[in-house]
Amino acid sequence: MTKIINSNEELIDIDDEAQNANQQIGYAWEEEYKRSWDVLQEDEDGGLKHTVEHLQSRKRKRLERDTSIIKRGIIRHMFLIIDLSEAMLEKDLRPSRLDLTLSYAEQFILEFFDQNPISQLGVIVSKSGVAEKLMGLTGNPMDNINVLKKKNIDTDGEPSLQNALEMARSSLIHVPAHGSREILIIMGSLTSCDPGDINETIDNLVSENIRVSIVGLAAEVQICKLMCKKTKGTYGVVLNEAHFKDLLFEIIPPPPVSIVKSKSELVVMGFPRGVNESMPSLCACHSKPVSGGYICARCNSKICDLPTDCPICELTLVSSPHLARSYHHLFPVANFEEVPWSSAFTTHCYSCQMPFQTQPQVVKGRSNNVTSIDSSGRYNCPKCKKHFCIECDTFIHEVIHNCPGCLSTSENST
Amino acid sequence: MKFFIGNLPIYFPYDKIYPEQYSYMVDLKKAIDAGGHCLLEMPSGTGKTVSLLSLIVAIQANYKEKRKLIYCSRTVPEIEKALAELRNLIEYRTKCGEKDEYLGIGLTSRKNLCINSSVNQEKWGKVVDARCRNLTASWIREKSKLYSPGEVPLCNFYEKMENDNERQRMLIPDGVYTLEELREYGKEQGHCPYYMARRTIPFANAVIYSYHYLLDPKVAELVSKELSKDCIVVFDEAHNIDNVCIESLSIDITKPNLDASAKSIAKLRDVIEDIKKKDSQRLRDEYDKLVEGLMAASQERDEDVYLSNPILPEDLSHEAVPGNIRQAEHFVAFLRRFVEYLKTRMRAQQVVAESPMSFLQNCREVTLIERQPLRFCSQRLTSLVRTLELSDLNDYYALHKVAAFATLVATYEAGFMLILEPFENDTIPNPIFHYACLDASIAIKPIFRRFKTVVITSGTLSPLDMYPKILNFQAAVQESYSMTLTRNCFLPLVVTRGSDQVAISSKFEVRNDPAVVRNFGQILVEFSKIVPDGIVAFFPSYLYMESIVAMWNDMGILNEAWKHKLIFVETPDAAETSLALENYRKACDNGRGAILLSVARGKVSEGIDFDHNYGRAVIMFGVPYQYTESRILKARLEFLRENYRIRESDFLTFDAMRHAAQCVGRVLRGKTDYGLMIFSDKRFARADKRNKLPRWLNQFITDACTNLSTDMALVTAKKFLRTMAQPFERDQLGVWSVEDVERQERSNVGVGGRAAQFN
Repeated sequence: MTKIINSNEELIDIDDEAQNANQQIGYAWEEEYKRSWDVLQEDEDGGLKHTVEHLQSRKRKRLERDTSIIKRGIIRHMFLIIDLSEAMLEKDLRPSRLDLTLSYAEQFILEFFDQNPISQLGVIVSKSGVAEKLMGLTGNPMDNINVLKKKNIDTDGEPSLQNALEMARSSLIHVPAHGSREILIIMGSLTSCDPGDINETIDNLVSENIRVSIVGLAAEVQICKLMCKKTKGTYGVVLNEAHFKDLLFEIIPPPPVSIVKSKSELVVMGFPRGVNESMPSLCACHSKPVSGGYICARCNSKICDLPTDCPICELTLVSSPHLARSYHHLFPVANFEEVPWSSAFTTHCYSCQMPFQTQPQVVKGRSNNVTSIDSSGRYNCPKCKKHFCIECDTFIHEVIHNCPGCLSTSENST
Repeated sequence: MKFFIGNLPIYFPYDKIYPEQYSYMVDLKKAIDAGGHCLLEMPSGTGKTVSLLSLIVAIQANYKEKRKLIYCSRTVPEIEKALAELRNLIEYRTKCGEKDEYLGIGLTSRKNLCINSSVNQEKWGKVVDARCRNLTASWIREKSKLYSPGEVPLCNFYEKMENDNERQRMLIPDGVYTLEELREYGKEQGHCPYYMARRTIPFANAVIYSYHYLLDPKVAELVSKELSKDCIVVFDEAHNIDNVCIESLSIDITKPNLDASAKSIAKLRDVIEDIKKKDSQRLRDEYDKLVEGLMAASQERDEDVYLSNPILPEDLSHEAVPGNIRQAEHFVAFLRRFVEYLKTRMRAQQVVAESPMSFLQNCREVTLIERQPLRFCSQRLTSLVRTLELSDLNDYYALHKVAAFATLVATYEAGFMLILEPFENDTIPNPIFHYACLDASIAIKPIFRRFKTVVITSGTLSPLDMYPKILNFQAAVQESYSMTLTRNCFLPLVVTRGSDQVAISSKFEVRNDPAVVRNFGQILVEFSKIVPDGIVAFFPSYLYMESIVAMWNDMGILNEAWKHKLIFVETPDAAETSLALENYRKACDNGRGAILLSVARGKVSEGIDFDHNYGRAVIMFGVPYQYTESRILKARLEFLRENYRIRESDFLTFDAMRHAAQCVGRVLRGKTDYGLMIFSDKRFARADKRNKLPRWLNQFITDACTNLSTDMALVTAKKFLRTMAQPFERDQLGVWSVEDVERQERSNVGVGGRAAQFN
């Protein structure tokens, strides 16, 4: 037997060399190396127009979402739980999981408050088996961002899902019934160090209508999957940096409201008056002298930023544009449809007035032209039937949330 | 869905069918029509059982001759699963308007079926059997008639069943009963489920039970002797069938066995003395019966094709029990002499390996015991036990073993070997007499001869030509199927060297080399970092696992792994292992994550499934070769070379690879599951090893993944885990609907021109 094995060894060594000679796959350090320029292909004029269009149409696909009108809770209470375990030091996401997570978290918070201005958010971190609340629920994005920027962001040990969830839960229990209760976890670790049975915590979360969504940075963990399924949240595992952002930003549109607690309720809100004084006076929130600011509608104290809760009388303070911005979640713009060449009679984009390309008369055999020939580059609003170019399509759905075509026609009619 | 293969209408209880399931059925039908045996390899979890059952039930319903299905599986949960699948199928057929009168029944040991609360509390199967016999043996029931009721304890369930049985023939209405339902039904009716199942076997359309009821001559005689010739016999999960065959004819006798036998013999002698004084007529009756009765029995045997019992082949049955052991006290004295002889042999200081022939020769020289009476030992003992109306048969277990040993030694010559090992691990004195069967075909030969169609199927049978050789039969169809997957849901990786480029291997010369051990440890630690939930690691043997875990402990590798996952270890103790398994599952469920260190060929590698989060990765540390210094293995290898022309290395590799495939197959139990399979030994990279893996596994081993170092494997694995975690859209790619099947069927008929006919 030993003799046979010895002869095996020689054979393997030969195999090794053969393999190295014609390298079917790269080494580890070559593997992640993306030759991004290979994607770009010049057309016959040396331009990159078609490729860019192709990339944009891919992005457009991602934007398509359910546009049916459902009841959504636009007053949200969310805790962002960030895992600060050793696993976050991994460098499989550039520059490292931790750095990327923090910078995305910052963007997330800004975008979250931009889209849900009358919501509140808090931050919890977990490391070495314990959870720490960095920021309680607040309506001010800058508080959350500042806390992520400065305070002891170093990693250690393992996270504790249960401790973090319990901490978030104890704060979320007290929020009024008209707001949603949500937890978003960014989890780099594949393990959790819990003091008790996490299934009990999950059952509690379910009974208190707290929705848990998780973004995993490494692989699918069963307990996370189970938790998200039970609490009706979403669970995603990132593929790469861009996908991480996509998964995170999927949480930003407000979730549908479950039928159970949909009793109507009035919420007290104040619309403060904006002031611009010649003489700086102290603000109620930071005790700093500022010249501009807002005056609370109830107690007349001065605050610097909106939206927020008044530090004196705890009235929710918003401005009317804030409310209006939340509104688009309830009535989203319909998804635009691609226009086939057969009905591509328009010459210019309705909103930006850029000329559309015309249908090529001769179908060329060049492979890199195929994508542009397939699509006419026109996108059709199903309501007003106006045609838009792809840039405007994305802009309308991502930023302005209103269709210029529909707005202009309704003006004409009234 | 309903479709046709040839003219045979087949009901399949699902809307879609995988192409491999369809071709599996076509091949199976071909084999059954041809009346031959077949060998089919298809991965478990892809609907093998349901395809098999749908086809066979269709054949049973549509062919003129009513053929019975004998379905043998390996473990109780598997039997239970097959029964549930069968019931589902029959329900579906009924819903579609087929009126089958179908009775499907499962059988397992008394321990699992007993509903008598005074008996089923016992922990050991053997004790349950003995206790059951104490309540139900014919002489005890006779005795109870003499006394007032209640004085002799009987089993109420058995009694009620016997009473009802006399009045009506059928004990159980048509339907398919899982084991649990059988118990329920038994409770409802007040019948003993175990005996009910055994009585029903002759009437049932499908019987599902363990291999042993068919292969082990000791049990088969009781349970399976009335099966007719045209049964369709299926061995599922049959990759270990040769070992089952061998074990059913092998016996190990230890020193404690002999001591216990000596005690039992003394007890027997007392009982005989006692009975002689009180009721000597009984012994005389037995004597007469032994002279005449066996003659009658042997005639009956000739008339019908009973399953021939390897302990008592047909040619022996004609003779009566030899004169010198017919008298009870003579027989007891004879047994004592034989036990004493074995004791003397055990005093030997070196290893002895001899043929049964030379053992008998020596035995005759020393003790004047002839071969002929030895042959009848087992039978004579059974008769004596019956005559003496002994209860507590558990006490006579060792003596039974010795008697069986005597019978086997005296019956078989070719294909057997006697090995005496005086020491365990060459140091601890613990003499064992192995009577080792070397030829797997002996036990299974009667099955192949008796039944027209024997189907051997499993997830791991590659290389397919090995089984016909070692079991000595002709397969009409032998086929291995690939797997249709909607996504590549498993990733085999062959890791041949550590991150430091040192080649890793479990071969004997380097296995304890610190560099190799450290690299093995590194693999464990690194994968425990990136794999979520459960990891199962397999070692070639307990011994190696112990030594390597001790070294990891010294190197601090275990501490490192502990940070990421809990570690559990399989031990030879079944209770300990099941506790470890329970906690392992818990750790996988609550997000802590766990590693289970276990042994290829152990209990875990054979019967336990690690589906979904219970096994996201399986790591094979080394090639699971058998312990080549084992004398029994050496004898078997030599036998295989001389008789079947199988080279030692071929057999060893075949055996190692089938166990490796079996181990890694544990993590994949269905198409929605996913898992990593890491083969860490440079010998796995060789083509001759890889070719012996099953086809469904081989089809996913790419060249790129066959010669990796640890860090390269990690990168690939990470990517794989991320991809697999993405939401799984169930686009039914590669799945056939009824139309696809019909199209395929038409093209089959067109191309092959073979229109299947009913016989």
